[in-house]
Amino acid sequence: MLKINNLHATVAGKEILKGLNLEINAGEIHAIMGPNGAGKSTLGYVLAGREGYEVTAGEVIFNGKNLLELEPDERACEGVFLAFQYPVEIPGVNNTYFLRAALNAQRKYRGEPELDSVGFLRLVREKLKVLHIGDELLHRAVNEGFSGGEKKRNEIFQMAVLEPMLAVLDETDSGLDIDALKTVAEGVNRLRSPDRGMIVVTHYQRLLDYIVPDKVHVLADGKLVATGGADLALKLEEQGYAWLEDGGIASLDAETAGRTASQ
Amino acid sequence: MSELSTQWAEKIPPGIGTGPAWLENLRSSAAEQFRTYGLPNRKDEAWKYTGLRMLDKSGVQLATQIESPVSGLSNSTPLVEFDLTVNMLDGQFLGQIGELPAGMTLLPMADALRRNVPGLKELLGSLDMSRSKKASSDGFSALNSAMLGDGLLIHVASGVDAGRFCINWATRACENPLLFNSRICVIVEQGAKLELLEQFESLAGNANSSNIVFQVSLSEGASLTHIRFQNEDENAALITRTEVAQHAESEYTYIGFDLGGGLVRHDLHSDLLGPGAIADLNGAYLLDGQRHVDNHARVDHKAPGGLSKQYFRGVAGGEGRAVFNTAVCVHPGADGTEARQSNGNILLSARAVVNTKPELEIYADEVVASHGATVGQLDEQAVFYLQTRGLSETEARQMLTTAFCRSVSDKLSDPVLREIIADRMMDVMPHAG
Repeated sequence: MLKINNLHATVAGKEILKGLNLEINAGEIHAIMGPNGAGKSTLGYVLAGREGYEVTAGEVIFNGKNLLELEPDERACEGVFLAFQYPVEIPGVNNTYFLRAALNAQRKYRGEPELDSVGFLRLVREKLKVLHIGDELLHRAVNEGFSGGEKKRNEIFQMAVLEPMLAVLDETDSGLDIDALKTVAEGVNRLRSPDRGMIVVTHYQRLLDYIVPDKVHVLADGKLVATGGADLALKLEEQGYAWLEDGGIASLDAETAGRTASQ
Repeated sequence: MSELSTQWAEKIPPGIGTGPAWLENLRSSAAEQFRTYGLPNRKDEAWKYTGLRMLDKSGVQLATQIESPVSGLSNSTPLVEFDLTVNMLDGQFLGQIGELPAGMTLLPMADALRRNVPGLKELLGSLDMSRSKKASSDGFSALNSAMLGDGLLIHVASGVDAGRFCINWATRACENPLLFNSRICVIVEQGAKLELLEQFESLAGNANSSNIVFQVSLSEGASLTHIRFQNEDENAALITRTEVAQHAESEYTYIGFDLGGGLVRHDLHSDLLGPGAIADLNGAYLLDGQRHVDNHARVDHKAPGGLSKQYFRGVAGGEGRAVFNTAVCVHPGADGTEARQSNGNILLSARAVVNTKPELEIYADEVVASHGATVGQLDEQAVFYLQTRGLSETEARQMLTTAFCRSVSDKLSDPVLREIIADRMMDVMPHAG
């Protein structure tokens, strides 16, 4: 579904991604972990097409298409969704109105009939029920005055309505208390499907207790330096990222192996 | 004096009709002022940012009644359904659709002048035509008074809730465009209530221009909600002056939308004469192409305990030019006044211009006042956020600019009218670049 080859990207003239390779198949959830400044959020923005994030080398192929050639809205219409680390507040734009306009823009792009307000409300009610979210967010302006948890729930709600092929969740766990985290994770789990790929970007392992990934990658200094199963996240939680400077993934494995043996 | 002023001055008839002496005096002294000082120019402080080049270039001529017989044209329908609609064509009374509620009088101005309706003489006479030291500054008011004859008188008797009605203004197209003068007088007696929508639309391109003075007298406890929606042709000029005299505990609410017009100037003034009066002035203006919209809003607090709010939002794209002047003067003795002024503008293109100037003068005690004026661009983060959900950049920008202006239309109490006006704003929303 998604194939990233040798991706290099700069922000304000500074190289952040330095040859990133990643392949995601439909139905898989990949977690990307790594220290601050490794380029985790940059990856999300590059995939979504944010201005100022310049790709200097490499390619991103999404369902056979060159994703980097598309405008941000075309990428969305092709099925890429970015859940923001810091969702933007938009005063004056009603959440329901906005989401219906967005969904209809996507449906139009795909040659599907647009939904009228009755059809849209029916869909929204269904999604709210599945996600166990109340309808109070619907009547407010997009993210305006929302708490951190409400903003993240609103991102997941948007994702549920727009039903993307590929969802990139950028530190969706940051700033959440444990209850909000569980709600968000449950929402994500309900959206797991054999047709959908997900990239869960996170700094902490905690989120992965609730969203169990198929693969875990470690991003450091603009590249993936380690890849493993869900257990890799646990190792990182125990040992932090200091090993990156102490000799790389080999030292991590040796230490973890040693500790396991001594227990 | 400009060439246009001279041309128009020559067209003012020596004596318009057979009115009472006070009326002929009013007309002739106004005509004298116009013949001597003419139209405003850039040297007048209040017209510093608004020139009349568009009128000069298009060669608009002053319409006299003889040249403008009203034909059987029909105006466009009102934005929402009204029980009572008055159609005005090229400044003149065309007809009334629907029944008047009990306690409300509505007359074409010519009839009202003939009948010498009580209160009319005083109201007409109260129009200040020397607001600044330079008499040319009030040239349009002088011209309007010199040509006084067309328009409407609306009277609501004490204690009557007259509901709402629509004044539906339309202008025709002419090979050689004309400027029409018209006067609206609204008298709302003690404790009475009225809501009106003024709707301005051109029936074709290259339309005629208008110079309208709208005078309101609100007695004690009276209330007027005044909604204005104008979407005139880009070649038309619309010069309006709204003067509101407010007595104790009266309430005036203005919600205006300027979507069209090539040269638009609106002087909106509320005089709080009695204690506890409220003036709530709101407006949105959207400009594209080479359009020019100038709003001058002013509230004079002359009695204690008054409240005034001014809330205006503007969006300028293309080579549009917006002028916004908001002024509050709290006079001696107007203690305990509360005055709020807020003006926000978004510039969508590098060639659009906004001149905004808040003014505040306070000569009283215990006054609460706030004012702010901003000119900025759209939040690019918000544009990107909307794009990542599937909206094109154009759609995203339109949604954000409309939201900015919706904060004005959201003040309308009728939800249907609110949505219709919001949609109309979306239709004309200027594009970036």
